[in-house]
Amino acid sequence: MVCVSRIPRRDEATFAEVLGAHPDFPRLIAIKIDVQRRGLHYTRRAMAAVDPTRHQIYMWEGVAYPHSMLLRDGTTILAYPQPRDRNPYDVDFIDGAFVLIDAGQVVETVELWPKPLYYDKKTSSGLPMKEVVSARPQRLDIFASSFCHFAHVDDQGCQFCPLPHHHSQLREAYDLPTRLKPEDVKECIAEALKEPGRFTNIHITGGSVIKGREMLDAELDYYIKLLRAIGEVFATPRFPSQLLASPFSEKQLIRLREETGLGSYTSNIEVLDEQRFNWICPGKAHHIGYREWKDRLVRAVDIFGRGNVNTGIVGGVETAAPHGFPSEAEALRATLDEAEDLAQKGVTTVHTVWAPQKGSKFSELRSPSLDYFIRLASGLQEIRARHGLSVDFDDYRRCGNHPDSDLARLQ
Amino acid sequence: MTSRLSPAVTALLDDPETIKILATVGADGAPHAVAKQSLHLGEDGCLHYLELLESSTTNKNMVRSLWFDGTVAITLAHRDGRSVQIKGRPIKVHITGELFQRHYRALRLSDPEADLASVWVIEPVAVTDQNARVRREAEAVRHPHFLHLDRLARAQ
Repeated sequence: MVCVSRIPRRDEATFAEVLGAHPDFPRLIAIKIDVQRRGLHYTRRAMAAVDPTRHQIYMWEGVAYPHSMLLRDGTTILAYPQPRDRNPYDVDFIDGAFVLIDAGQVVETVELWPKPLYYDKKTSSGLPMKEVVSARPQRLDIFASSFCHFAHVDDQGCQFCPLPHHHSQLREAYDLPTRLKPEDVKECIAEALKEPGRFTNIHITGGSVIKGREMLDAELDYYIKLLRAIGEVFATPRFPSQLLASPFSEKQLIRLREETGLGSYTSNIEVLDEQRFNWICPGKAHHIGYREWKDRLVRAVDIFGRGNVNTGIVGGVETAAPHGFPSEAEALRATLDEAEDLAQKGVTTVHTVWAPQKGSKFSELRSPSLDYFIRLASGLQEIRARHGLSVDFDDYRRCGNHPDSDLARLQ
Repeated sequence: MTSRLSPAVTALLDDPETIKILATVGADGAPHAVAKQSLHLGEDGCLHYLELLESSTTNKNMVRSLWFDGTVAITLAHRDGRSVQIKGRPIKVHITGELFQRHYRALRLSDPEADLASVWVIEPVAVTDQNARVRREAEAVRHPHFLHLDRLARAQ
């Protein structure tokens, strides 16, 4: 195969050296992590081979590119284009196939995410369906609200998070409402389900809204309306679904469970250490607090059941300079200890791979090593298996953005 | 892609009366052999089969084989005596896309209760003819010491 330009490696161990130290870790999952960590660059040849009638195209910071990729084991790689100084992997198109290239060598064949049939349609209200409900290979994604109280009102948004900035851009570009109308979402989902075998899960998320009679009631009320509208599409009272939302109180969680067909509940604590949480997520710390966040997750298990509640962390952000853990070893130990504590109480933890993004306050920082992420993913999965917790609703297929839950395929 | 299997093996694979067994290995080395009648020759020249259960032992073993470069064994046996074993390597799994959805629609037509987890792609590595006569003749040529003497004794 033809090689493309050789890019100097960063000052760190090579992929082969790192993987060699972890012979029991799947190479394909390590590739996923490394691509997410370093980002992507699509060659001109690859971009020319992208077929908008078959592949999903996404806009990020005004740049259109293929949304994401699948490895040959069905693993999703959700990664974003990154500048050359971050040493991104290249995606090229060689001998009729898209390939990942590192330092001039082809490392794997990849497939671009297939475009669902409903993507070219519009809602009755005139909105492009693909902007109301987006698609992963097997999941329907609803980013219900671009407003986040922590970011937009208090200026205390999570420091790694580019989403409020990014989704505000998208909503302006497509004239979408700040908060999606339940009827529009329902219409898109009904249309998406006309394609047999295409989707296995519905994921709903949005920014935090703290107002209401009880704090977060406004957010809860909206999600209940949204879920009830979606529920009208299904013949069963409950349907495979995940709500990623603020940490509701027990009373609120009971309403969520009883008044909707929601299948699982997630509330992302982002960082599993109180001191770093307070620094990295100041809005969450101010309004809820680290310990209360954990307590609310545990209480959710009583309502949604073991195996139906989890929390997400932005893996690696706990090492962010200048107030993060001074060493990867300390960060790993602290994170896994806290994940163990949550697992003992029925809450499982999943991680994403922190790749500093434009639009976030941490955009100029550097993510930790591949070795760190391999240890983190392995550690979280070992904890999950040890406590007999499943993560079916947030696994390689229902989500695809957590290297640790990719490993749960063998559990 | 051209089939890596001979026309005789392909014919056996295509015969609806052929019993098709897929044997995989667990993390502890335990063998796991089950009938997979959906095994067929894919357009890419590899063996394909439909996995209906995401959490099945076979599916997990297949993922492990793909991740760690392991092999699987497929036995095709027909009541007329034809029998072959194919050693293969799982190289890909379809969990979405055109091929997956085509199989999903066909499966649901034949069994409205069924769901489809994945379509596995197994690259054939070696084929052994397991027909009893063929195996016996091969052993006689390669291992002439492996037999009981009474079989060679003069008739009394």
